[in-house]
Amino acid sequence: MNFSFLWAIFGIGITLVFYALAGKIKRFKIAFLNPVLLAIVGIIVFLKVFDIPFEAYNKGGKILTYFLGPAVVALGAFFYEKYEELRKDLRLLTIAVVIGGICGVVSIVFFLLLLEMPMFLIQSLASKSVTTPIAVEITKNVGGIPDITAGIVIAVGVFGNVFGLYFLNKMGITNQRAIGAALGTAAHGIGTARAIEEGKIPGVYSGIAMCLNGIVTAVVTPVILHFLL
Amino acid sequence: MHRVLNYLKDLFSWARLKAFFFILLFLLMGEVISYLFALPVGGNIIGMVLLFVALKYKWVPLRAIKPASDKLIEFLVVFFIPYGVGLMVYFDLIKSYWLPLSIAVIASTLLTLYVTAIILQKSGK
Repeated sequence: MNFSFLWAIFGIGITLVFYALAGKIKRFKIAFLNPVLLAIVGIIVFLKVFDIPFEAYNKGGKILTYFLGPAVVALGAFFYEKYEELRKDLRLLTIAVVIGGICGVVSIVFFLLLLEMPMFLIQSLASKSVTTPIAVEITKNVGGIPDITAGIVIAVGVFGNVFGLYFLNKMGITNQRAIGAALGTAAHGIGTARAIEEGKIPGVYSGIAMCLNGIVTAVVTPVILHFLL
Repeated sequence: MHRVLNYLKDLFSWARLKAFFFILLFLLMGEVISYLFALPVGGNIIGMVLLFVALKYKWVPLRAIKPASDKLIEFLVVFFIPYGVGLMVYFDLIKSYWLPLSIAVIASTLLTLYVTAIILQKSGK
C-alpha cells in the first residue's frame, strides 16, 4: 500500500474543503476575513491540532501548486480581455504602474536594508506587491523562500483591501481610475477585489494594473536585487 | 451525486482539455525560451506574455483558450494556499523579525499605493 498516495489525496482534499468553507464565511462581508487567509489559517490549525507534519500535507499541496505554472500563463488571456476594454489610456496607466511597481520593489528593499533585516527576507519580500503565483516565481528566481513570500503577499493584499481605499481618500485621491490602478499595483488580486466592489471602472483598472505590475516586477526585481545588493 | 458528476463532466470537457493543452504548450515555449537564453524571468511569465501577444495578433483565437483559462483563474487562489500553509514551517524563522517586517511592508505598500494613484490623478482628467 502506497501511503504517500493517500497523503496526496488528503492534502488536496483538505485544501479544497477549507477553501469552500472559507468561501461560505465570506458572506458575512467582513473585509479582513479574506477566504484565502481563512483557509490558510484553518489548515494550519487543523494540521497543528492533529499533529500532522507539513511535509505530509504538502504531498498533495505540491500537486496543487504545480497548476500555478499554467494558471500564470492563463493570466495572459485575462490580460488580453481586459486590455480591449481600456485601450485608449493604456499608455498613461502603463507609466503609472511601471513607476508604482518599481517604487514598490525599491522601497521594500530599501526599508528592509535600513532596518538591517537578513538577506533571505529581502529576497523573499522584494516581490510582495504582485499576485502570489508571480511573486512566488520571482522569489524562487532570486533565491528567497517562496513560503514566506506567499504569506506576506496575502497579508499585503488583505492590508490593501481593508485600508487602501481609506488611505487614498485621506491623501486626497478621488479619481476612480487612480484608485483602481493603485489597488491593483500595490495589493494585487485581493486589492482588486476591493476595487471591483467600488465599481466597474476601478475594477477593470485594478485588474489590468495587477497584471502589468506582475510583469514589471518580474522583470525588474532580479535586476534591482542584482544592483542593490 | 448527480450534480457532482455533471460538474466533473463539465470540468473535464473536451473543449477545456484542449484549451488546457494549448496553455501547457505556451508554458513549455516559455520554459524553453527562459532556459535557452538563461533569462532571470520564469518560464510561466514568458508564457503569459507569449499568450497575450498570440491573442493580440490573432494567431490564436480567444475561444480556444478561454474554457481553460477561466477555470484556472477561478481556482488561482486555491493553487497558492499550500504556499501559505508552508508559512507554518518558517514561522519561527520570521517570528523574531515581525515588527520591523510589518513596518517595512506597510510603509512600502502605502508608498506604492500613493505613487501609482497620484500619477494617474495628476495627469488624468
